[in-house]
Amino acid sequence: MGIQMQERETGSVVRSEPILSVRAVHKTYTLGRVKVPVLHGVDLDVKQGEWVTILGASGSGKSTLLHLIGGLDRPDKKTERSASVQFRDRELTQESKRALDRYRADDIGFVFQFYHLLPELSVLENVTVGGMIKYGRLGYRAHRKQIVDRASGLLDRFGLSHRLKHRPAELSGGERQRVAIARALINEPSLLLADEPTGNLDLKTGESILDAIIEHRRDAGLTLVMVTHDERIAAKSDRVIRLIDGRVEEA
Amino acid sequence: MYQALLTKKYLTRKVMPMLAMAAVMLSVATILITWSVMGGFLKTLIASGKTLVGDVAIVWPNVGFAYYDDLIERLEADELIDSASPTIETFGLIKLPDDRVELISIKGIEPRSYSEVTGFADTLWWKPIDEPTSKDHEGEDIRLAPENAELFAQVLSNGISMTRPDPITGVVEPAGVLGIEVTGLNDRKIWGGYYPGTPVRAQPDGGVEFLNQRMFLQGQVGLTILALDSSGRPIDPVTRTIPIANEFQSGLYEVDQGTIFVPLDVIQRMLRLDEAAKVELVRDDENPFAIEVNPVTGEIGPKMKEIIGVDPARVTTVLVRGVDGAELEAVRQRVREIYAQFADAHPGQVPDAVNMRHQIKTWEDLNRTMISAVKKETGLVLFIFGIVSFTTVFLVLAIFWSMATEKTKDIGVLRALGASTPGIAWLWIRYGASIGIVGSVTGTAVGYWVVLNINAIHDWMGRTFGLVIWDPRQYYFVEIPSAVDPSKAVIVFVVGILTCVLGAAIPAVHSARMDPVKALRFE
Repeated sequence: MGIQMQERETGSVVRSEPILSVRAVHKTYTLGRVKVPVLHGVDLDVKQGEWVTILGASGSGKSTLLHLIGGLDRPDKKTERSASVQFRDRELTQESKRALDRYRADDIGFVFQFYHLLPELSVLENVTVGGMIKYGRLGYRAHRKQIVDRASGLLDRFGLSHRLKHRPAELSGGERQRVAIARALINEPSLLLADEPTGNLDLKTGESILDAIIEHRRDAGLTLVMVTHDERIAAKSDRVIRLIDGRVEEA
Repeated sequence: MYQALLTKKYLTRKVMPMLAMAAVMLSVATILITWSVMGGFLKTLIASGKTLVGDVAIVWPNVGFAYYDDLIERLEADELIDSASPTIETFGLIKLPDDRVELISIKGIEPRSYSEVTGFADTLWWKPIDEPTSKDHEGEDIRLAPENAELFAQVLSNGISMTRPDPITGVVEPAGVLGIEVTGLNDRKIWGGYYPGTPVRAQPDGGVEFLNQRMFLQGQVGLTILALDSSGRPIDPVTRTIPIANEFQSGLYEVDQGTIFVPLDVIQRMLRLDEAAKVELVRDDENPFAIEVNPVTGEIGPKMKEIIGVDPARVTTVLVRGVDGAELEAVRQRVREIYAQFADAHPGQVPDAVNMRHQIKTWEDLNRTMISAVKKETGLVLFIFGIVSFTTVFLVLAIFWSMATEKTKDIGVLRALGASTPGIAWLWIRYGASIGIVGSVTGTAVGYWVVLNINAIHDWMGRTFGLVIWDPRQYYFVEIPSAVDPSKAVIVFVVGILTCVLGAAIPAVHSARMDPVKALRFE
């Protein structure tokens, strides 16, 4: 099957083959003695270079789906159809813990609503820590200059070159989120998973953050799965899916 | 790599690790100080125990053994043996100047050879000294006074030769050397020395008599012992007055409080272990008309006994000192071999080598009870302090648990960035080890410093707060032992680090096994 390409309004080039394929994913959490089903057989395909926005109300399972895609969690096993989360040709549900760690380090970038920066580290260290994890002790020494240069470049691009030595507590919300985005991009991931990246920011700051992500995505050909409940942001994406009661409905 | 970065940041930016480090430091320093002081105490005690024993003792109690001069000659001819000395060890009653009667250990010695084997001369207390003892900051010791130098030189000479001129007639006579604590007259001062007192004798009418005498100048004691026959059976008590030439301090209170040294020939005569004519009773049926002349009175009388030989003098113990650096066991083995040759040369006249085998003892054997007691005491104190210090493990555990909980979200972030389970565990283990290393290094340094300066610190506490913990009037050693055994320091250092790693292990495993999604959602 040939590869088809398509230029979208968002300026990105979307290839026809899916980079991510989610099938029959169920997820149930146990809270004390109560079982709380969150996802009821989610099916989803995301093409390479595509920006997919997941819309849904609070508690609809958006973040859970993101965690499953990112290999932070695993779908339920006892279901009618066997669950599958396929990234390129890798079946993530069959991968070992160690392999999932590597998957997150090499292929995935996470951006969280509340930034989740490490408060003891400087801005630059918060970004390079991803490189440290990916390359390990010896590898990091070998790639140190390259990682620091890339981190500096990303921070410069996000307008934070004057804040490299500052600690997160000394930054504004928007600046913190830009640092978090730089951290997510430091290892040049194929898939960026953003969990309400503007949800904790004012409108103007949120838009500037969104612009930064869009710009980088366009330049790097990044695939983006973003969780939000902001319809205006969703309107900018290539495709919108809605999660209602743990099921996907294409918008 | 990120573990190193975060460890550094956590260590320098948090109060909790500082507290943990302080706890480790105090525990390490406490253990090191306790172990060093108790170990030093044991070492000093053991050295004191060796002072009056030498390396190896050949012991045949009660009846003793003969031809000891021959044995000593054979011993001293050996290259492994430095010197040997004959002694007699027995018990008796001592009558002190104030008429008290006490049980006492009596050692008959040849002062010259005994000094060579045991360093006895160095234990004599009354002698002129040039420098004050370490705690005598005011120079109160009467032995320092230049006007007493000549007197104490004479007293020292008396002690070394175990003789003393009679204070009235001036005739030199054999004298004893008394343990410094025997009479109870010597007043032990806080600076660790003695001031000689004078005896006070209680009178039947309720009054007291002050005897204006110093033991080492005019003092004398009465000794009563039971003489034994050749088979070891008591014959009759013998009492003799012994002038005192000097007093000794060995460093062992039990010895100094209950021992008197007496010239060997004196005690041999008292115990009838001296050389004597061997006689045989004349049987009436052989020659009822035999006569003899009394050599003293010249009177002629019926012959009652006949001299058939000489019964040689005997001693109960021969003390042996090996050459410097000789192994104690090697010296004992060599003494056994030499004794076997000696026994072969005197068949039927001395105990045979097989019977004597277990009577050839090292100084450690002779002091086993005392050494074992102090070792047990040291072990007990260390055990108690060890238990106390083991709480450090729980302290570190509690601090780490608290920190790991506080850092739950960070752990979730690190996991989201791809950090592995072992990587997260290693972060905390490494952090614990870092706290352990810093705490142990500073604790060992503080412990070293305190031990090396413990006497100066103790003196300062005494001057500033009036706090005297180590009082030479109660503790027999003037100074607190102040040497650190490097091997002990290494053990304490390593255990300090391991303690922290152990304390960090549980929170480390807990953090590593944490569900990353729950960690990210942790509030």
